[in-house]
Amino acid sequence: MGGSLLKPVILIGIVYAILKFIVPNIPGSAPLPSSLIFLYLMLTTSGIVIFATLSGESKDAFWGPIQRFLTGENIGGLQVLRYAVLLLFPLIVGWQTYSSTATSDAPPAENRTIHPAPPGEYTGLSNPVSKTPDAIQQGKGFYAAFCSPCHGGNFDGKGPAARGFNPPPANFSDPTTIAMLQESYLFWRIKKGGVGLPIEGMPWKSAMPRWEVELPDEWIWKIIMGEYDGAHQSPRTWE
Amino acid sequence: MTRGMQQMKWGCAIAGVGIVCVLAGTTIGFAQESVAVRAPMVKGTLPADDPSSAVWGSATPATFPMSPQVHWQNRIQEATVKDLTVRALHDGTNVAILLEYADPTEDPDDSAAIEFMVGDKKAHFAHGQPMAQVEGGPVNIWFWKNKDGKGVDMNAKGFGTLKVQGHQDVKAKGVYANGTWKVVFTRPLATEHPEEDTQIATGGFINIAFAVWDGKKDASGELKEKGSQKAVSSWWYFRAEAPPDYSGYYYALLAVGLALGFQFVLIRKLKKGHSA
Repeated sequence: MGGSLLKPVILIGIVYAILKFIVPNIPGSAPLPSSLIFLYLMLTTSGIVIFATLSGESKDAFWGPIQRFLTGENIGGLQVLRYAVLLLFPLIVGWQTYSSTATSDAPPAENRTIHPAPPGEYTGLSNPVSKTPDAIQQGKGFYAAFCSPCHGGNFDGKGPAARGFNPPPANFSDPTTIAMLQESYLFWRIKKGGVGLPIEGMPWKSAMPRWEVELPDEWIWKIIMGEYDGAHQSPRTWE
Repeated sequence: MTRGMQQMKWGCAIAGVGIVCVLAGTTIGFAQESVAVRAPMVKGTLPADDPSSAVWGSATPATFPMSPQVHWQNRIQEATVKDLTVRALHDGTNVAILLEYADPTEDPDDSAAIEFMVGDKKAHFAHGQPMAQVEGGPVNIWFWKNKDGKGVDMNAKGFGTLKVQGHQDVKAKGVYANGTWKVVFTRPLATEHPEEDTQIATGGFINIAFAVWDGKKDASGELKEKGSQKAVSSWWYFRAEAPPDYSGYYYALLAVGLALGFQFVLIRKLKKGHSA
Protein backbone atom coordinates (compact mmCIF):
# COMPACT_ATOMS: atom_id res chain seq x y z
CA MET A 1 0.00 0.00 0.00
CA GLY A 2 1.57 3.24 -1.11
CA GLY A 3 1.35 6.61 0.55
CA SER A 4 -1.06 7.79 -2.12
CA LEU A 5 -3.98 6.29 -0.19
CA LEU A 6 -2.80 7.47 3.18
CA LYS A 7 -3.25 11.12 2.31
CA PRO A 8 -6.96 10.86 1.33
CA VAL A 9 -7.71 8.83 4.45
CA ILE A 10 -5.97 11.39 6.66
CA LEU A 11 -7.75 14.22 4.82
CA ILE A 12 -11.18 12.65 5.37
CA GLY A 13 -10.29 12.07 9.03
CA ILE A 14 -9.30 15.71 9.47
CA VAL A 15 -12.46 17.00 7.76
CA TYR A 16 -14.57 14.74 10.01
CA ALA A 17 -12.76 15.93 13.14
CA ILE A 18 -13.24 19.58 12.17
CA LEU A 19 -16.97 19.13 11.46
CA LYS A 20 -17.59 17.02 14.53
CA PHE A 21 -15.44 18.66 17.20
CA ILE A 22 -14.26 22.09 16.09
CA VAL A 23 -17.28 23.61 14.25
CA PRO A 24 -19.68 23.12 17.23
CA ASN A 25 -17.25 25.05 19.45
CA ILE A 26 -17.14 28.11 17.22
CA PRO A 27 -19.12 30.82 19.07
CA GLY A 28 -22.66 31.07 17.69
CA SER A 29 -22.45 27.63 16.09
CA ALA A 30 -24.19 24.38 17.02
CA PRO A 31 -23.45 20.65 16.63
CA LEU A 32 -23.99 19.63 12.99
CA PRO A 33 -26.60 16.97 12.27
CA SER A 34 -25.01 13.67 11.25
CA SER A 35 -26.75 13.88 7.85
CA LEU A 36 -24.94 17.16 7.12
CA ILE A 37 -21.57 15.76 8.25
CA PHE A 38 -22.22 12.77 5.97
CA LEU A 39 -22.95 15.12 3.05
CA TYR A 40 -19.71 17.07 3.62
CA LEU A 41 -17.70 13.82 3.85
CA MET A 42 -19.27 12.61 0.59
CA LEU A 43 -18.30 15.89 -1.08
CA THR A 44 -14.75 15.54 0.26
CA THR A 45 -14.56 11.93 -0.99
CA SER A 46 -15.88 12.92 -4.43
CA GLY A 47 -13.31 15.72 -4.58
CA ILE A 48 -10.49 13.33 -3.72
CA VAL A 49 -11.63 10.80 -6.35
CA ILE A 50 -11.87 13.49 -9.04
CA PHE A 51 -8.47 14.93 -8.10
CA ALA A 52 -6.81 11.50 -7.99
CA THR A 53 -8.14 10.47 -11.40
CA LEU A 54 -7.28 13.67 -13.27
CA SER A 55 -4.26 12.17 -15.03
CA GLY A 56 -3.49 8.62 -16.05
CA GLU A 57 -0.53 8.51 -13.67
CA SER A 58 -2.35 9.77 -10.63
CA LYS A 59 -5.19 7.41 -11.45
CA ASP A 60 -2.86 4.43 -11.32
CA ALA A 61 -1.25 5.72 -8.15
CA PHE A 62 -4.68 6.04 -6.57
CA TRP A 63 -6.40 2.85 -7.73
CA GLY A 64 -3.34 0.62 -7.83
CA PRO A 65 -3.03 0.15 -4.08
CA ILE A 66 -6.80 -0.36 -3.70
CA GLN A 67 -6.73 -3.01 -6.40
CA ARG A 68 -3.70 -4.76 -4.90
CA PHE A 69 -5.31 -4.65 -1.47
CA LEU A 70 -8.54 -6.21 -2.73
CA THR A 71 -6.82 -8.96 -4.73
CA GLY A 72 -4.40 -9.59 -1.89
CA GLU A 73 -1.35 -9.75 -4.18
CA ASN A 74 1.95 -8.91 -2.49
CA ILE A 75 0.41 -7.10 0.44
CA GLY A 76 2.21 -9.12 3.09
CA GLY A 77 1.08 -8.29 6.62
CA LEU A 78 -2.01 -6.46 5.40
CA GLN A 79 -3.60 -9.80 4.51
CA VAL A 80 -5.33 -9.93 7.91
CA LEU A 81 -6.77 -6.45 7.40
CA ARG A 82 -7.94 -7.51 3.93
CA TYR A 83 -9.86 -10.46 5.35
CA ALA A 84 -11.32 -8.18 8.03
CA VAL A 85 -12.56 -5.72 5.38
CA LEU A 86 -13.97 -8.53 3.20
CA LEU A 87 -15.80 -9.89 6.26
CA LEU A 88 -16.94 -6.57 7.68
CA PHE A 89 -18.38 -5.13 4.47
CA PRO A 90 -21.12 -7.79 4.04
CA LEU A 91 -21.88 -7.64 7.77
CA ILE A 92 -22.30 -3.86 7.71
CA VAL A 93 -24.51 -4.09 4.62
CA GLY A 94 -26.60 -6.73 6.41
CA TRP A 95 -26.88 -4.67 9.58
CA GLN A 96 -27.82 -1.54 7.63
CA THR A 97 -30.49 -3.48 5.73
CA TYR A 98 -31.87 -4.92 8.96
CA SER A 99 -32.11 -1.56 10.69
CA SER A 100 -33.78 0.08 7.69
CA THR A 101 -36.42 -2.64 7.25
CA ALA A 102 -37.14 -3.38 10.93
CA THR A 103 -40.42 -1.75 11.98
CA SER A 104 -40.02 1.00 14.54
CA ASP A 105 -41.41 0.43 18.00
CA ALA A 106 -41.68 4.15 18.74
CA PRO A 107 -44.75 6.29 18.00
CA PRO A 108 -44.37 8.66 15.02
CA ALA A 109 -41.93 11.51 15.67
CA GLU A 110 -43.64 14.83 16.21
CA ASN A 111 -41.71 17.96 15.35
CA ARG A 112 -44.18 20.62 16.33
CA THR A 113 -43.31 24.25 15.62
CA ILE A 114 -44.12 26.13 18.81
CA HIS A 115 -44.22 29.63 17.31
CA PRO A 116 -45.18 29.26 13.62
CA ALA A 117 -45.48 32.31 11.38
CA PRO A 118 -48.73 34.26 11.83
CA PRO A 119 -50.99 35.13 8.88
CA GLY A 120 -49.99 38.40 7.20
CA GLU A 121 -52.84 40.45 8.61
CA TYR A 122 -51.61 39.81 12.15
CA THR A 123 -48.03 41.02 11.73
CA GLY A 124 -47.04 44.44 13.01
CA LEU A 125 -50.37 45.40 14.61
CA SER A 126 -49.84 47.75 17.52
CA ASN A 127 -51.85 47.61 20.72
CA PRO A 128 -54.61 50.22 20.31
CA VAL A 129 -55.23 50.38 24.08
CA SER A 130 -53.18 52.98 25.98
CA LYS A 131 -50.85 51.38 28.48
CA THR A 132 -52.31 52.85 31.66
CA PRO A 133 -52.19 51.22 35.11
CA ASP A 134 -55.97 50.89 34.90
CA ALA A 135 -55.86 49.02 31.57
CA ILE A 136 -53.12 46.70 32.83
CA GLN A 137 -55.10 46.00 35.99
CA GLN A 138 -58.22 45.26 33.94
CA GLY A 139 -56.18 42.97 31.69
CA LYS A 140 -54.91 41.07 34.72
CA GLY A 141 -58.50 40.65 35.88
CA PHE A 142 -59.53 39.18 32.51
CA TYR A 143 -56.40 36.99 32.59
CA ALA A 144 -57.37 35.65 36.02
CA ALA A 145 -60.86 34.81 34.78
CA PHE A 146 -60.15 33.35 31.33
CA CYS A 147 -56.47 32.39 31.05
CA SER A 148 -55.18 31.47 34.51
CA PRO A 149 -56.97 28.08 34.74
CA CYS A 150 -54.38 26.77 32.25
CA HIS A 151 -51.59 29.37 32.05
CA GLY A 152 -51.51 29.73 35.84
CA GLY A 153 -52.01 32.53 38.37
CA ASN A 154 -48.21 32.93 38.33
CA PHE A 155 -48.08 33.08 34.50
CA ASP A 156 -45.96 29.89 34.57
CA GLY A 157 -48.23 27.60 32.52
CA LYS A 158 -49.07 25.56 35.60
CA GLY A 159 -52.75 26.29 36.12
CA PRO A 160 -54.99 23.67 37.74
CA ALA A 161 -56.52 22.71 34.35
CA ALA A 162 -53.16 22.35 32.57
CA ARG A 163 -52.17 18.81 33.55
CA GLY A 164 -53.89 16.84 30.78
CA PHE A 165 -52.91 19.02 27.86
CA ASN A 166 -50.23 18.06 25.36
CA PRO A 167 -48.77 20.43 24.18
CA PRO A 168 -48.77 22.09 27.62
CA PRO A 169 -50.04 25.68 28.01
CA ALA A 170 -47.29 28.27 27.39
CA ASN A 171 -45.22 29.45 30.35
CA PHE A 172 -45.15 33.25 29.97
CA SER A 173 -42.40 33.73 32.56
CA ASP A 174 -40.08 31.65 30.36
CA PRO A 175 -37.95 34.12 28.34
CA THR A 176 -38.42 31.99 25.19
CA THR A 177 -42.19 32.56 24.96
CA ILE A 178 -43.90 35.98 24.95
CA ALA A 179 -40.62 37.87 25.46
CA MET A 180 -39.61 36.70 21.96
CA LEU A 181 -42.91 37.70 20.38
CA GLN A 182 -44.62 40.91 19.40
CA GLU A 183 -47.97 41.93 20.85
CA SER A 184 -49.60 41.38 17.46
CA TYR A 185 -48.48 37.70 17.56
CA LEU A 186 -50.21 37.20 20.93
CA PHE A 187 -53.30 38.95 19.57
CA TRP A 188 -53.43 36.36 16.75
CA ARG A 189 -52.87 33.38 19.06
CA ILE A 190 -55.49 34.48 21.61
CA LYS A 191 -58.07 35.50 19.00
CA LYS A 192 -57.81 32.41 16.73
CA GLY A 193 -56.74 29.87 19.37
CA GLY A 194 -55.27 26.42 18.75
CA VAL A 195 -57.46 25.75 15.72
CA GLY A 196 -55.99 28.86 14.03
CA LEU A 197 -52.48 27.36 13.88
CA PRO A 198 -50.93 26.33 10.55
CA ILE A 199 -50.19 22.63 9.99
CA GLU A 200 -46.65 22.80 11.44
CA GLY A 201 -48.19 23.97 14.73
CA MET A 202 -50.35 20.79 14.86
CA PRO A 203 -53.65 22.62 15.52
CA TRP A 204 -55.48 19.32 16.18
CA LYS A 205 -53.61 18.95 19.48
CA SER A 206 -54.00 22.42 20.96
CA ALA A 207 -56.58 23.12 23.68
CA MET A 208 -56.23 26.92 23.38
CA PRO A 209 -59.75 28.34 22.93
CA ARG A 210 -60.67 30.51 19.96
CA TRP A 211 -61.35 33.56 22.12
CA GLU A 212 -62.68 35.70 19.25
CA VAL A 213 -66.06 34.01 19.71
CA GLU A 214 -66.23 35.00 23.38
CA LEU A 215 -64.14 38.14 24.02
CA PRO A 216 -64.09 41.59 22.32
CA ASP A 217 -60.76 42.63 20.76
CA GLU A 218 -60.27 45.36 23.36
CA TRP A 219 -60.30 42.78 26.15
CA ILE A 220 -57.75 40.67 24.29
CA TRP A 221 -55.39 43.67 23.93
CA LYS A 222 -55.78 44.36 27.65
CA ILE A 223 -55.11 40.70 28.50
CA ILE A 224 -51.86 40.95 26.48
CA MET A 225 -50.78 43.98 28.58
CA GLY A 226 -51.70 42.15 31.78
CA GLU A 227 -49.73 39.06 30.69
CA TYR A 228 -46.52 40.95 29.95
CA ASP A 229 -46.78 42.96 33.17
CA GLY A 230 -47.62 39.95 35.32
CA ALA A 231 -44.90 37.73 33.81
CA HIS A 232 -42.32 40.59 34.07
CA GLN A 233 -41.58 40.41 30.35
CA SER A 234 -41.60 42.96 27.53
CA PRO A 235 -42.89 42.45 24.01
CA ARG A 236 -40.28 42.07 21.29
CA THR A 237 -39.84 45.21 19.22
CA TRP A 238 -37.81 45.84 16.08
CA GLU A 239 -36.49 49.25 17.11
CA MET B 1 -4.19 -1.19 -19.16
CA THR B 2 -7.14 -2.96 -20.73
CA ARG B 3 -10.56 -1.39 -21.00
CA GLY B 4 -11.97 -4.16 -18.83
CA MET B 5 -9.55 -3.27 -16.10
CA GLN B 6 -10.58 0.37 -16.21
CA GLN B 7 -14.17 -0.66 -15.78
CA MET B 8 -13.17 -2.76 -12.84
CA LYS B 9 -11.43 0.19 -11.32
CA TRP B 10 -14.60 2.18 -11.56
CA GLY B 11 -16.33 -0.75 -9.91
CA CYS B 12 -13.78 -0.37 -7.14
CA ALA B 13 -14.56 3.30 -6.85
CA ILE B 14 -18.27 2.62 -6.55
CA ALA B 15 -17.56 -0.04 -3.94
CA GLY B 16 -15.36 2.40 -2.02
CA VAL B 17 -17.99 5.12 -2.05
CA GLY B 18 -20.54 2.47 -1.06
CA ILE B 19 -18.48 1.53 1.98
CA VAL B 20 -18.18 5.18 2.99
CA CYS B 21 -21.94 5.57 2.53
CA VAL B 22 -22.72 2.55 4.65
CA LEU B 23 -20.27 3.54 7.39
CA ALA B 24 -21.37 7.14 7.59
CA GLY B 25 -25.09 6.60 7.04
CA THR B 26 -26.24 6.81 10.60
CA THR B 27 -29.95 7.25 11.08
CA ILE B 28 -31.21 10.28 12.94
CA GLY B 29 -33.59 9.59 15.79
CA PHE B 30 -35.91 12.05 17.51
CA ALA B 31 -36.70 11.92 21.19
CA GLN B 32 -40.28 10.86 21.69
CA GLU B 33 -42.21 11.94 24.76
CA SER B 34 -45.69 10.87 23.72
CA VAL B 35 -47.19 7.91 25.47
CA ALA B 36 -48.98 5.12 23.61
CA VAL B 37 -51.45 2.38 24.49
CA ARG B 38 -50.08 -0.90 23.16
CA ALA B 39 -52.46 -3.82 22.63
CA PRO B 40 -50.62 -7.15 22.54
CA MET B 41 -52.14 -10.00 20.56
CA VAL B 42 -53.57 -12.76 22.75
CA LYS B 43 -54.74 -16.26 21.94
CA GLY B 44 -58.21 -17.30 23.08
CA THR B 45 -61.21 -15.17 23.95
CA LEU B 46 -60.84 -11.47 24.76
CA PRO B 47 -62.10 -10.58 28.27
CA ALA B 48 -64.79 -8.30 26.80
CA ASP B 49 -67.28 -8.88 29.63
CA ASP B 50 -64.79 -9.13 32.45
CA PRO B 51 -62.76 -6.02 33.35
CA SER B 52 -61.21 -7.96 36.24
CA SER B 53 -60.02 -10.93 34.17
CA ALA B 54 -56.42 -12.07 34.72
CA VAL B 55 -55.88 -11.87 30.94
CA TRP B 56 -55.62 -8.06 31.28
CA GLY B 57 -52.34 -8.66 33.10
CA SER B 58 -50.68 -9.35 29.75
CA ALA B 59 -51.34 -5.75 28.67
CA THR B 60 -48.98 -2.97 29.78
CA PRO B 61 -50.98 -0.19 31.45
CA ALA B 62 -50.59 3.38 30.15
CA THR B 63 -51.70 6.27 32.37
CA PHE B 64 -52.79 9.61 30.92
CA PRO B 65 -53.41 12.89 32.78
CA MET B 66 -56.87 14.41 32.39
CA SER B 67 -57.93 18.07 32.30
CA PRO B 68 -61.29 19.73 32.76
CA GLN B 69 -62.71 20.60 29.33
CA VAL B 70 -61.82 24.30 28.97
CA HIS B 71 -61.50 24.48 25.21
CA TRP B 72 -65.03 25.63 24.41
CA GLN B 73 -68.30 26.61 26.09
CA ASN B 74 -69.71 25.33 28.38
CA ARG B 75 -66.43 24.67 30.13
CA ILE B 76 -65.66 23.54 33.66
CA GLN B 77 -62.72 24.53 35.83
CA GLU B 78 -62.34 21.26 37.70
CA ALA B 79 -63.23 17.67 36.86
CA THR B 80 -63.43 14.66 39.18
CA VAL B 81 -61.16 12.34 37.22
CA LYS B 82 -57.49 13.37 37.22
CA ASP B 83 -55.85 10.29 35.69
CA LEU B 84 -56.96 7.45 33.46
CA THR B 85 -55.23 4.09 33.16
CA VAL B 86 -55.68 2.25 29.87
CA ARG B 87 -54.96 -1.36 28.90
CA ALA B 88 -55.75 -2.98 25.56
CA LEU B 89 -55.68 -6.42 23.94
CA HIS B 90 -56.55 -7.83 20.55
CA ASP B 91 -56.96 -11.33 19.10
CA GLY B 92 -56.39 -10.53 15.45
CA THR B 93 -60.12 -9.90 14.86
CA ASN B 94 -61.42 -7.85 17.78
CA VAL B 95 -59.88 -5.22 20.04
CA ALA B 96 -60.71 -4.70 23.72
CA ILE B 97 -59.78 -1.49 25.54
CA LEU B 98 -60.05 -1.24 29.34
CA LEU B 99 -60.37 2.20 30.97
CA GLU B 100 -59.79 2.39 34.70
CA TYR B 101 -60.26 5.49 36.86
CA ALA B 102 -61.05 6.59 40.40
CA ASP B 103 -64.54 7.98 41.03
CA PRO B 104 -65.69 8.31 44.67
CA THR B 105 -69.35 7.53 43.88
CA GLU B 106 -71.21 5.24 41.51
CA ASP B 107 -73.90 7.23 39.70
CA PRO B 108 -76.33 6.27 36.92
CA ASP B 109 -74.95 9.06 34.70
CA ASP B 110 -71.27 8.13 35.09
CA SER B 111 -69.91 7.93 31.52
CA ALA B 112 -66.70 7.37 29.61
CA ALA B 113 -65.67 7.69 25.97
CA ILE B 114 -62.81 6.91 23.61
CA GLU B 115 -62.13 9.08 20.55
CA PHE B 116 -60.27 8.22 17.33
CA MET B 117 -59.52 10.01 14.10
CA VAL B 118 -61.21 8.53 11.01
CA GLY B 119 -59.32 8.22 7.72
CA ASP B 120 -56.10 10.02 6.82
CA LYS B 121 -57.06 13.57 7.79
CA LYS B 122 -56.09 14.96 11.18
CA ALA B 123 -59.04 15.80 13.42
CA HIS B 124 -59.04 18.27 16.31
CA PHE B 125 -59.30 16.46 19.64
CA ALA B 126 -62.34 18.53 20.58
CA HIS B 127 -64.95 16.66 18.51
CA GLY B 128 -63.05 17.23 15.25
CA GLN B 129 -63.97 20.91 15.13
CA PRO B 130 -62.92 22.86 12.01
CA MET B 131 -59.36 24.23 11.88
CA ALA B 132 -58.59 27.52 10.13
CA GLN B 133 -55.58 26.45 8.04
CA VAL B 134 -55.85 22.65 7.96
CA GLU B 135 -58.62 20.57 6.43
CA GLY B 136 -59.64 18.23 9.23
CA GLY B 137 -61.48 14.92 9.26
CA PRO B 138 -64.23 13.45 11.45
CA VAL B 139 -63.79 11.68 14.78
CA ASN B 140 -65.22 8.32 15.82
CA ILE B 141 -66.44 8.26 19.43
CA TRP B 142 -67.14 5.12 21.46
CA PHE B 143 -69.40 6.08 24.35
CA TRP B 144 -70.56 4.25 27.47
CA LYS B 145 -73.02 5.37 30.13
CA ASN B 146 -73.59 3.40 33.37
CA LYS B 147 -77.38 3.49 33.26
CA ASP B 148 -77.55 2.45 29.62
CA GLY B 149 -75.08 -0.40 30.11
CA LYS B 150 -73.97 -0.52 26.47
CA GLY B 151 -71.54 0.95 24.02
CA VAL B 152 -72.62 3.58 21.50
CA ASP B 153 -70.75 4.17 18.23
CA MET B 154 -70.83 7.84 17.19
CA ASN B 155 -69.29 10.41 14.85
CA ALA B 156 -68.66 14.14 15.03
CA LYS B 157 -67.07 16.78 12.83
CA GLY B 158 -67.36 19.99 14.80
CA PHE B 159 -69.47 21.10 17.75
CA GLY B 160 -73.14 20.21 17.61
CA THR B 161 -72.61 17.50 15.00
CA LEU B 162 -72.43 14.48 17.34
CA LYS B 163 -74.46 11.71 15.74
CA VAL B 164 -75.18 8.10 16.66
CA GLN B 165 -74.26 5.78 13.78
CA GLY B 166 -76.83 3.72 11.92
CA HIS B 167 -74.66 0.62 12.43
CA GLN B 168 -73.46 -0.13 15.95
CA ASP B 169 -70.19 -2.07 16.19
CA VAL B 170 -69.06 -1.10 19.69
CA LYS B 171 -69.83 -3.04 22.86
CA ALA B 172 -69.08 -1.75 26.35
CA LYS B 173 -69.36 -2.99 29.91
CA GLY B 174 -68.59 -1.15 33.15
CA VAL B 175 -67.94 -2.59 36.60
CA TYR B 176 -67.73 -0.38 39.70
CA ALA B 177 -65.90 -1.54 42.81
CA ASN B 178 -63.91 0.09 45.63
CA GLY B 179 -64.21 3.61 44.23
CA THR B 180 -62.92 2.58 40.82
CA TRP B 181 -64.64 2.26 37.46
CA LYS B 182 -63.41 -0.35 35.04
CA VAL B 183 -64.99 -0.02 31.61
CA VAL B 184 -64.20 -2.33 28.68
CA PHE B 185 -64.93 -1.32 25.10
CA THR B 186 -64.76 -3.94 22.32
CA ARG B 187 -65.07 -3.69 18.55
CA PRO B 188 -63.80 -5.56 15.50
CA LEU B 189 -60.38 -4.20 14.45
CA ALA B 190 -61.79 -3.51 10.98
CA THR B 191 -65.38 -2.70 10.01
CA GLU B 192 -67.27 -2.28 6.75
CA HIS B 193 -67.66 1.48 7.30
CA PRO B 194 -64.22 3.10 6.93
CA GLU B 195 -65.87 6.51 6.34
CA GLU B 196 -67.27 6.48 9.88
CA ASP B 197 -65.34 3.93 11.91
CA THR B 198 -61.66 4.09 12.75
CA GLN B 199 -59.89 1.12 11.15
CA ILE B 200 -57.23 -0.55 13.28
CA ALA B 201 -54.43 -2.19 11.30
CA THR B 202 -51.94 -4.13 13.40
CA GLY B 203 -48.49 -2.62 13.72
CA GLY B 204 -49.55 0.97 12.94
CA PHE B 205 -49.94 3.84 15.39
CA ILE B 206 -53.24 5.72 15.41
CA ASN B 207 -54.40 8.65 17.54
CA ILE B 208 -56.57 8.08 20.60
CA ALA B 209 -58.13 10.42 23.18
CA PHE B 210 -60.37 9.92 26.20
CA ALA B 211 -63.21 11.63 28.08
CA VAL B 212 -64.89 10.87 31.41
CA TRP B 213 -68.01 12.33 33.04
CA ASP B 214 -68.69 12.12 36.77
CA GLY B 215 -72.48 11.63 36.84
CA LYS B 216 -72.83 12.86 40.43
CA LYS B 217 -75.61 15.40 41.10
CA ASP B 218 -75.07 18.56 43.13
CA ALA B 219 -77.38 19.80 45.96
CA SER B 220 -79.82 21.31 43.44
CA GLY B 221 -80.12 18.03 41.54
CA GLU B 222 -78.04 19.25 38.58
CA LEU B 223 -75.46 16.91 37.08
CA LYS B 224 -71.93 17.94 38.11
CA GLU B 225 -70.54 17.00 34.71
CA LYS B 226 -72.53 16.67 31.50
CA GLY B 227 -72.13 17.32 27.78
CA SER B 228 -69.05 19.48 27.20
CA GLN B 229 -68.40 19.61 30.95
CA LYS B 230 -66.16 16.61 31.39
CA ALA B 231 -62.60 15.46 31.96
CA VAL B 232 -60.62 15.17 28.70
CA SER B 233 -57.22 13.96 27.56
CA SER B 234 -55.11 15.16 24.65
CA TRP B 235 -54.41 13.00 21.59
CA TRP B 236 -52.12 10.07 22.41
CA TYR B 237 -51.19 6.98 20.41
CA PHE B 238 -52.68 3.50 20.15
CA ARG B 239 -51.21 0.44 18.49
CA ALA B 240 -52.50 -3.09 18.07
CA GLU B 241 -49.21 -4.99 18.08
CA ALA B 242 -48.50 -7.03 14.97
CA PRO B 243 -47.54 -10.72 15.20
CA PRO B 244 -43.74 -11.15 15.39
CA ASP B 245 -42.15 -10.27 12.06
CA TYR B 246 -38.85 -11.90 11.08
CA SER B 247 -38.68 -10.50 7.53
CA GLY B 248 -35.98 -8.01 8.59
CA TYR B 249 -33.61 -10.92 9.28
CA TYR B 250 -34.34 -12.47 5.87
CA TYR B 251 -33.68 -9.18 4.09
CA ALA B 252 -30.45 -8.76 6.07
CA LEU B 253 -29.31 -12.29 5.13
CA LEU B 254 -30.11 -11.60 1.49
CA ALA B 255 -28.12 -8.35 1.65
CA VAL B 256 -25.13 -10.16 3.20
CA GLY B 257 -25.32 -12.75 0.41
CA LEU B 258 -25.46 -10.06 -2.27
CA ALA B 259 -22.51 -8.18 -0.74
CA LEU B 260 -20.45 -11.40 -0.56
CA GLY B 261 -21.32 -12.19 -4.18
CA PHE B 262 -20.38 -8.68 -5.25
CA GLN B 263 -17.01 -8.98 -3.50
CA PHE B 264 -16.37 -12.39 -5.03
CA VAL B 265 -17.15 -11.26 -8.59
CA LEU B 266 -15.19 -8.01 -8.18
CA ILE B 267 -12.04 -9.66 -6.84
CA ARG B 268 -12.19 -12.46 -9.41
CA LYS B 269 -12.45 -9.91 -12.20
CA LEU B 270 -9.62 -7.84 -10.73
CA LYS B 271 -7.39 -10.92 -10.51
CA LYS B 272 -8.21 -11.88 -14.09
CA GLY B 273 -7.42 -8.32 -15.19
CA HIS B 274 -4.04 -8.54 -13.48
CA SER B 275 -3.03 -11.77 -15.09
CA ALA B 276 -4.29 -10.62 -18.49
